[in-house]
Amino acid sequence: MGADAPYVELHTHSAFSFLDGASTPMELAGAAGQLGYSAFALTDHNGIWGSMEFAHACKGFGVRPITGAEVTVGEAHLTLLAESAAGYRNLCRLLTEAHSHTRDNTARTAGQPGVGMEQLEAHAAGLVCLSGCAGDGAVVGPWARGEATEGVALARRLLAAFGHDRFRIELQRPYWRHDRARNRWLSGLAERLGVPCVATGNVHSHDRCRTHLQDALVAVRLGTTLEASEPLRRGNSSSALATPQGMATRFVEYPEAVAETLRLAERLRFDLTADLGYSYPGAENPDADRQLAAICQKLLEERYANSDRAAKASARLEDELQTIRIRGLSGFFLLHRDLLELAREVALEVRGPASARSIMPPGRGRGSSVSSIVCFLTGLSHIDPVERDLFSGRFLNAEVNEDTVAPDIDLDFPRDIREKLIPRVHDRYGADRSALVAAFPTYRPRGAVRDLGKALALPPAEIERVAKTVGFHESSGEIERDVVAAIGAERAASRGWQVLIELTGEAMGLPRHASQHSGGMVISTQPLIDVCPVVPAAMEGRQIVQWDKDSCSDAGFLKVDLLGLGMLSAVERCVEEVDRTRGRRLDLSRIDFEDPQTFESIQAAETTGVFQIESRAQMQMLPRTRPEDLDDLTVQVALVRPGPIQGGAVHPYIERRKRLREDPTYEIPYEHQLLEPALKETLGAIVYQEQVLEVAVDLADFTHAEADGLRRAMSRKRSQEAIDEFHDRFLVGAVGANEVPLDVAERVWQQIQGFSGFGFPKAHSAAFGLLAYQSAWLRIHYGPEFLCALLNEQPMGFYPPDALAHEAQRRGVRLAPPDVNRSRVLCHVETPQQAPAEPELRGGRIVRIGLGYVKGVREKEMASLVAERRRSGPYREIADLASRSGVSGADLERLAWAGALDGLTGDVPVERGPYGHRSTGTSGRREALWEVGVVGTARRNMQGAQMALPLQAPDAPALKPLGEWEEMIADYRSTGMTLGEHPLALMRAGLDPELVRSTDLEKIDDGTIVEVGGMVVARQRPETAGGIVFVLLEDERGTVNLIVPPPVYDRHRAEVRTSPLIRAKGRLERREGTTNVLVSEVRELERTQLREVVPPGHSWGRRDRESQKRPRRSAHSIDRD
Amino acid sequence: MTPGIRQLYAPRRVSVEADSEGVPLTVEGVVVAAVREEWVVEDRWWTLRRLWRHYFELVLTDGRDLVVFRSSSGRWFRQRA
Repeated sequence: MGADAPYVELHTHSAFSFLDGASTPMELAGAAGQLGYSAFALTDHNGIWGSMEFAHACKGFGVRPITGAEVTVGEAHLTLLAESAAGYRNLCRLLTEAHSHTRDNTARTAGQPGVGMEQLEAHAAGLVCLSGCAGDGAVVGPWARGEATEGVALARRLLAAFGHDRFRIELQRPYWRHDRARNRWLSGLAERLGVPCVATGNVHSHDRCRTHLQDALVAVRLGTTLEASEPLRRGNSSSALATPQGMATRFVEYPEAVAETLRLAERLRFDLTADLGYSYPGAENPDADRQLAAICQKLLEERYANSDRAAKASARLEDELQTIRIRGLSGFFLLHRDLLELAREVALEVRGPASARSIMPPGRGRGSSVSSIVCFLTGLSHIDPVERDLFSGRFLNAEVNEDTVAPDIDLDFPRDIREKLIPRVHDRYGADRSALVAAFPTYRPRGAVRDLGKALALPPAEIERVAKTVGFHESSGEIERDVVAAIGAERAASRGWQVLIELTGEAMGLPRHASQHSGGMVISTQPLIDVCPVVPAAMEGRQIVQWDKDSCSDAGFLKVDLLGLGMLSAVERCVEEVDRTRGRRLDLSRIDFEDPQTFESIQAAETTGVFQIESRAQMQMLPRTRPEDLDDLTVQVALVRPGPIQGGAVHPYIERRKRLREDPTYEIPYEHQLLEPALKETLGAIVYQEQVLEVAVDLADFTHAEADGLRRAMSRKRSQEAIDEFHDRFLVGAVGANEVPLDVAERVWQQIQGFSGFGFPKAHSAAFGLLAYQSAWLRIHYGPEFLCALLNEQPMGFYPPDALAHEAQRRGVRLAPPDVNRSRVLCHVETPQQAPAEPELRGGRIVRIGLGYVKGVREKEMASLVAERRRSGPYREIADLASRSGVSGADLERLAWAGALDGLTGDVPVERGPYGHRSTGTSGRREALWEVGVVGTARRNMQGAQMALPLQAPDAPALKPLGEWEEMIADYRSTGMTLGEHPLALMRAGLDPELVRSTDLEKIDDGTIVEVGGMVVARQRPETAGGIVFVLLEDERGTVNLIVPPPVYDRHRAEVRTSPLIRAKGRLERREGTTNVLVSEVRELERTQLREVVPPGHSWGRRDRESQKRPRRSAHSIDRD
Repeated sequence: MTPGIRQLYAPRRVSVEADSEGVPLTVEGVVVAAVREEWVVEDRWWTLRRLWRHYFELVLTDGRDLVVFRSSSGRWFRQRA
């Protein structure tokens, strides 16, 4: 049908026009195929963000993709289409120039992209130019303003630039008021210029059902309501994709303009999937093979001197170098080695040569590249693949076919090093040859409710209530339930909310804006801007290509991931703090990797704050798997991932491990004996990504390239068709070639397909497992320093600072609140030597909370406060602090609320609380606030700060001291954590005595119905858990795991999702060292229960307001789903 | 509508004879000489008073220039342009 279609669409916007397009490229390609289009152009605003995805999708639907963009020239639009590779290069350069100054403002917010006519004229070759859309077209715009002469002049200029062959007058029929007059004028102009007209549809959605969403997105883009955006919306549903015949009918008065679409399309033969012209960086170096081999050989001799693994390593190296030569990747590896050397320089600058961190490598490998001996030798990986028996086939194999892609090298860096490294990479390789990979944040329920609710002018309070109730992964059906739970059935049934529910469902998954990938970087030895537009990122010194990682992979770009890893930063901070406080320099590569104390804590799931194995799911599993060495930890890290969970690997692995512990002669029941070599180390379960490859090779005779193609097909959402093909191929290979019974082959395939969610390669797991061990080791042997490092690197990990602090306090680590005479800007560890006279140290170490933890204070002011204290001694009183430190009145107030000025008020601090922390329990905070109010404070002006005079404050009047509850509220408001009594301890006297404390659960029989209460530390609703919600509650003694089944969640959505303090009733379940409560009922902890413990005169209204204002409450109850 | 306030240019019902495609042939018995413009307005779809109108700007054989529209109910109205 496609070949006979009378019309080709040459002007289409996808959702990659960002809030001016309501369909994905995949949806547009699918609809084009279904409607019989033979060819189809995607022309998003000032970008080709979705073009690679569109081009590949089109091929799947039998439609020929045409690449183009609607480019802003001056203030108006022109449609540009790539006719040839030269045209495509010009398009990329134009789009790069269009964005080059969009973030020149000081805040680096995105401005409007655009090019001038001169730039367009300089890059006209190989491009076909259409004169622009009906609304904002460059030629028709002046006519609409009554300045037709200007439009004619511009058309003549475009004709001169593009010539008669490549300039067309664009006719559109959006069913607007002046369509006929406009098209009459345009066709007359075309006749005068002697160029043909061409019809276009200016499509904004693949189906009419999305036109409402398109309207709403326009309102979102303009930051206004649907009502107010009326003049700028499309006005009707004619921007939805129509059939080719329908479009021909729409332009019945201009049959030649319709026929011209076919003629033009025939000429627009540039194919993004085949004609990109990209070559691997370093490919131009003819000596690269020899250079890489020489470097590796020298390093091999050094690293494996006197090692019994030398021969194996040498053979492995030879094999890898051979593969690299065949794939033409030697230059690529040399380039990455060069990059690592650059990272070394940067690391030295950041850490300083005398730092305890300086002996650490600049970064660590992660991902499949850790399995490569070339990466190990050149420093791109820190794990010996020979020693750890890592399989490199997932990273690199010699077979090259159309599915073969370039390998990825992923490197983790501490955050401070990465931050400096990325701009340095741009400096080293050139701004036109290096860029970060793009990422496209897509609409999720909460963001969609907020954006679209505002567009619909729904009441803001209701929008916020609903937004807080909806979950991250919820489907549209669930959103309706959330809306009912949040605002009631009656309001939910109103027209506005019904529309919002519908629109939210449609918006889900559409890209909202462009962002930068967490660290993926493309480096090229040819100008990148010839193959993909490069645009400035929001962060200064960074720039991004217009493609995400999938499109970069489709383009065959060689990508290196420079990732910032919070735990790596925390570990380095900890090493520095240990050096500072104990004078001990730790080399984490030489610690005892079989430390019994560390493994005991891991087996007991005492892993709060430990990398990768601190989550609720990991903690549930650790007492059952009981890891005993680094290999076990490698499996452990890989096990709790969507891939192994959905592939059904978890329970068989745990069960078999237990059986093996009880009976070392136990034989693993493999699905088929051919699977034993691939799955032996994981007891017959598919845990690692490369095991998918090995299973496909061993059981179904896949080649390595085919197996890698299967892995890639599974890791991408748009490949169901490809997966189905691999399924057939798998069955043919397994049953036909290897005589595997069909039911067994199907079962193994189901495991493979289940795995497709997401899994780690073993090499990646080994790298993460090592860091998990190192962090666990630091937690055990250097608890205060490790906690201090975690607090300083927030946000990171599973737990908020408050929960980390409470857990540390429960195991004896002592913390102290911020204090202007003791704290630094960051948290630090105080030692007895540093403050021998301080009674609260009790001979141990104390983690002192930094002044920077006080919310809202300026880091610079806190740094100057600390510097002045070091220079001239401690502050004697608040007037002294105000006059010497230069801290503003507002920041002094914040410090006073946080208790950081308590020591300056003359009150004698007392010990209180379960953990021996310092707390005034007096009028300290109120008095400090009063004094800050009456003493003069520094004033800031353009020239700097005018210091206050050191005028002593008069004696404070008698002020009512803060009660414990008020102090706790003040702690949370000011620092997001309390080191005093836990809220549950303060509430306990007024709570139902039937509520069981967390530590008492151990004494209660399995299966008993219990009721617990506490503060919500984390909520999770993993996609892999079938709707179950996991809640971690904390009371004054510890934590409780709650399992909330879907029916219970449905009944108590609002409480489960939004209440900070809840009580839950359910059945106690104890399994192999883990304790959970299977919840049947959830309630908010009621106010009436609290009244008894509230100090007299306490205002509930005030507490409510404080709770609402307190921003950390939401951060405290984090969502990790 | 609020008492005392009168809507300006309010649409008035008009009798229109149209062809099978919905294009007016006559307006109140006067033959349509030409269709100058034709457009569609869809708005307020998010409210209970959603609006859909297919407009025609017509030249009648008596020389008048007239704007009429067909509503979602299929009824015809005349509106001052």
